[in-house]
Amino acid sequence: MKTIDPGAADPGPPGAEPEPADAGAGAGAPGTAAAAVAAAGGGLGRASLWDDAWRELRRRWVFWASAGFLLLVALMAAVPRLFTSTGVNEGCDPNDAKLGPSGAHWFGTDLAGCDYYAHVVHGARPTLLIGVAVTLFAFVIALVFGMLAGYYGGLLDALIARLTDVFFGLPFVLGATVILVAFPSHGIGAMTLVLVLLGWTTMIRIMRAQVIAVRDADYVQAARLLGASDRRIMARHILPNAIAPVIVVATLNVGNVIAGEATLDFLGVGLQYPKVSWGLQLNLAQDSFVDHPHLLIFPAVFLSATVLSFLMLGDAARDALDPKLR
Amino acid sequence: MWRYVLRRLLQAIPVFIGTTLLIYAMVFALPGDPIQALAGDKPIPANVLSTLRDRYNLNDPLLVQYGKYMWGLLQGNLGENYDGQKVADMLGGRWTVTAQLALTAWIFELVIGIALGVWAGLRRGKVADTLVLGGTTLLIAVPVFVLGYTAQILFGLHWQIFPTAGTDDGWPMSYLLPGMVLGSLGLSYVARLTRTSLAENLRADYVRTANAKGLSRARVVGRHALRNSLIPVVTYLGVDFGNLMGGAIVTEGIFNLPGIGQQVFQSIQLKEGPVVVGAVTVLVLIFLLVNLVVDLLYGLLDPRIRYE
Amino acid sequence: MTSLRDAGTRRGARGKVAALAAVALAASLGLSACGGSGGKSDGVFTAGHSEPDHLVPGNTTSSYSFDVLSGLFDNLEGLTKDGKAYNLAAESISTTDQKVWTIKVRGGQKFHNGEPVTAQSFADAWNNAAYGPNAYSANDYFSHIQGYDAMNPEDEKAKPKADKLSGVQVVDPSTLKVTLTAPFNQFPLLLTYPAFAPMPKAGLQDLKSFENHPIGNGPYMMSGNWERNKQIKLVPFPGYTGPRKPKNKGVIWKSYSSADSAYTDLRAGKIDVLQTIPAAKVPEAKRLLGDRFLPRKMGTMDYLGFPLWDERFANPDLRKAISMVIDRQGVNKAVYNGDYFPADSLLPSIIEGHRANACGELCTFDPAKAKTLFDKAGGFKGTMELYFSNAQPTYYQWMQIVANSLKQNLGIQDVQFRQVPASDYFSMLNKHEEKGPYRQNWEADYPSAQNYLENMWTTNANRMGWKSKEFDDLIAKANSSADHQRALQLYNQAEDVAIREMPMIPLWTWAGQGGRSSHVDNVTITAWSTGLIVNEVTVK
Repeated sequence: MKTIDPGAADPGPPGAEPEPADAGAGAGAPGTAAAAVAAAGGGLGRASLWDDAWRELRRRWVFWASAGFLLLVALMAAVPRLFTSTGVNEGCDPNDAKLGPSGAHWFGTDLAGCDYYAHVVHGARPTLLIGVAVTLFAFVIALVFGMLAGYYGGLLDALIARLTDVFFGLPFVLGATVILVAFPSHGIGAMTLVLVLLGWTTMIRIMRAQVIAVRDADYVQAARLLGASDRRIMARHILPNAIAPVIVVATLNVGNVIAGEATLDFLGVGLQYPKVSWGLQLNLAQDSFVDHPHLLIFPAVFLSATVLSFLMLGDAARDALDPKLR
Repeated sequence: MWRYVLRRLLQAIPVFIGTTLLIYAMVFALPGDPIQALAGDKPIPANVLSTLRDRYNLNDPLLVQYGKYMWGLLQGNLGENYDGQKVADMLGGRWTVTAQLALTAWIFELVIGIALGVWAGLRRGKVADTLVLGGTTLLIAVPVFVLGYTAQILFGLHWQIFPTAGTDDGWPMSYLLPGMVLGSLGLSYVARLTRTSLAENLRADYVRTANAKGLSRARVVGRHALRNSLIPVVTYLGVDFGNLMGGAIVTEGIFNLPGIGQQVFQSIQLKEGPVVVGAVTVLVLIFLLVNLVVDLLYGLLDPRIRYE
Repeated sequence: MTSLRDAGTRRGARGKVAALAAVALAASLGLSACGGSGGKSDGVFTAGHSEPDHLVPGNTTSSYSFDVLSGLFDNLEGLTKDGKAYNLAAESISTTDQKVWTIKVRGGQKFHNGEPVTAQSFADAWNNAAYGPNAYSANDYFSHIQGYDAMNPEDEKAKPKADKLSGVQVVDPSTLKVTLTAPFNQFPLLLTYPAFAPMPKAGLQDLKSFENHPIGNGPYMMSGNWERNKQIKLVPFPGYTGPRKPKNKGVIWKSYSSADSAYTDLRAGKIDVLQTIPAAKVPEAKRLLGDRFLPRKMGTMDYLGFPLWDERFANPDLRKAISMVIDRQGVNKAVYNGDYFPADSLLPSIIEGHRANACGELCTFDPAKAKTLFDKAGGFKGTMELYFSNAQPTYYQWMQIVANSLKQNLGIQDVQFRQVPASDYFSMLNKHEEKGPYRQNWEADYPSAQNYLENMWTTNANRMGWKSKEFDDLIAKANSSADHQRALQLYNQAEDVAIREMPMIPLWTWAGQGGRSSHVDNVTITAWSTGLIVNEVTVK
């Protein structure tokens, strides 16, 4: 059993890295498969694995710090009125633009003369919403198609693998820019769609590798011999034993999606007025950073801290779920 | 071995076609008219428009356009953009800039990443380890454009250690700061991979055996543990080079490096299909090729893997 | 005008899409180490700009091409620094009815290759540029001349009936007779536009080599070929007989892929003149350059147009109310560091015929009055969609301020942005697909009130769907007036009609910010297509 080890978040094998541009080319590539199998860990019993994990998590301050900060951000997203009485784009005066922090404006004002603090608070909602929604969709896609591909193999597997490769080879920012430039009135929905479209590949590969690692296990064979249907085997036997690493990657993925969304906002092809988001704030202020650093600092700190929290949460979850490290 | 290479190459063909067709279709689907785009605000007489559209095959259906494009590509012709410049010329000098940037970032990842990883791995659970882990997590979390601007303001403007932007000072000076910014993400992964891998290997039986034989610590770590630990790191580094080439839009923008990413980003906005597809095609080729090489390399490093 | 970042103006879109904010733009790289100072002592200076698109005069509307072309060619008419037409290659220009113009070409002029400059040289060049199938980008500028329609049939598949402008007659080697489609007293100003340059026979026979090495009749000639993405070197033409005698030994136009690196080179003394310093660097440039910082007024003006076919915008009071909640001073301060010029008329102040405060209270920020007008007009229902292109980050910034004010001061709750790619923006406007106010600007082809008013407000040309016979008639009357002052009066009357109905709101005039090195002096940058007056620059 590992002792309490602050900050000892483990990066794990490459297959489980939270990076959009993940290693490993084809599904047949030995690198990916081997790595992902390693990430799978053993097939421990369900109840004990999750119980152990929780016990492990509870003892780590990293977990509590990340969770605490995310709770704060979630609260900002859900009920911004708790933090500010100023609405989005309210009370702005261009004659008061780019003021530094003061008693009246804690974070100063932005280029349009709006209160920066209020906007940073309101910026939490789209950021968080997109991060979570994209990950959820990609997670479901990964579960369903990764399962089917891994379980049945053959033509379906090859097809999904090639399709994954095609999307994988597409540079993320370029691909997203092409789509978003084509459809200029993009809100949260469109952003979610684009990010799912370009981001579904990472998790599906891990899921598929997991399923392959588990599908020939003794208990699956036994269930099959007992006459269980494919659907039952997949749902009751394989899924619970394959899902843990995917959950870890999903947690890490939220952070990456948020960073990706902010990058697109920053490039000016993402969210736009009247929406407020941290990436958008950084985009608008980029020419004024040198003379007005507060325009950079506040959204950047919140953005980075949120991404960081998701990463640390994911790391902590992996440590807790990965029996090899105990 | 050769059969494996052949099979991988054959597999790469549909992926290559799929990706280029996908990007071609996406550019094709962009609303608006590239010819009108070049003319700006001035009305173009209908017959001028139609002449130009014919010249650039814009009146053909998508698949025909794509076919013509691919046929040209097979003959080594990347086509021309809509005001008659050769795409190969437009991209030519830019590849050097992007390659220099990617290489700088890559060397940075390789040297500093592995060094940090070894340092942390050897001192697992100690302050050094915590520092490296915390620092790299932070680097991963800070979006590259925030990092870029911060670095530019601090190191470029404030302390004036590096040039703020542009390529005037040539390689390496102009590329050091952008390279570090671009490489910071990869560096974090490399450091963490090395650390974990090394720490795991240090607990392995063969290391215990080596220690028992009375070999020096340096020899145990250097010759045995580290060598085995670097296998996943090398894999990652290999694949990441392809990513660095394609992923530099933001960094190139902040540091004003006239590279591929900048060109493609502008061309997307101008709807210059041939330029976008040309650049992405080359990027995809690099990506596929690097992947293949890495997979083969992986086999060389780890004899347990056999190619059938 | 000749700017490294004049994004979104009516010039070609190339070089207009600011990639990452104003960080980098334009095509391909050209940052070779050489080229910079071709030796300061030899009387040659270096100017930075973006790569031109074409060097055949009729095939470009890019101000970067104009930089070079204005040295290589003498048009029939030239522009003085304050924007008046004067005879350059012409000896005289006369008309009795403003429709048929007789132009005498000054004798003794030669092209750089020794060919004499005759009336035929102009006729040939114009026919080449106006012929539809050649697909030249300045084709449309010839539409004032009779016979243009026959060369550019409406039906896109049809073959043109003519390959020569029937309105251009060569009477004798030194006399050109031009018949226009309608009386047009601003024709001499139109002739200053670079597309109206003459071309030698040798050039028309081999357009490909002409593009690489244009042969003109101007004070400068090419030294070597166009080094693409790198530089173009011009040296004085010894056989030049015109009024623009060079006061230096030549100029090198160096191409930059980004405004920032051009500015860096100006600071480092690697180039001597830069016409546009990137906005983000202006505060620093003011400090560093001192009196070598060269600010200027420009002829480029921003407007906000309304789609009048949409009933919600049909009431002039609503449009006036919107004009009155735009805090032009505030925008200028917040977005443009206070350097721009809030509009007080439909015309920029440097255009003859501009009247201070012609727009009056309609262009003054007054939320209370605006709200009264707005309520009187019956308010606004549905989504207020604001259209603009992604060519410049500043558009977004000021639109935000406008949108906030619409919400705050008029109570329009649902305001949405429609940020359209620069490549689609104008075709969208031309197809009338926008559903709300849209941004547009105008940069003068030649300095005349007519160029603004006729192109943006007349029934045939305007994008708003505004129909005003009163306005059209006033413009037509002004165009055919033989008396200059009378014409200006009529243009002003037309302007008043447009202000009264306010189908398009004037916003502000741009400011140009250039700079020079200490090696050169007498640097004048005009607001017109002439840009930098190259021949007057002196080198220390």
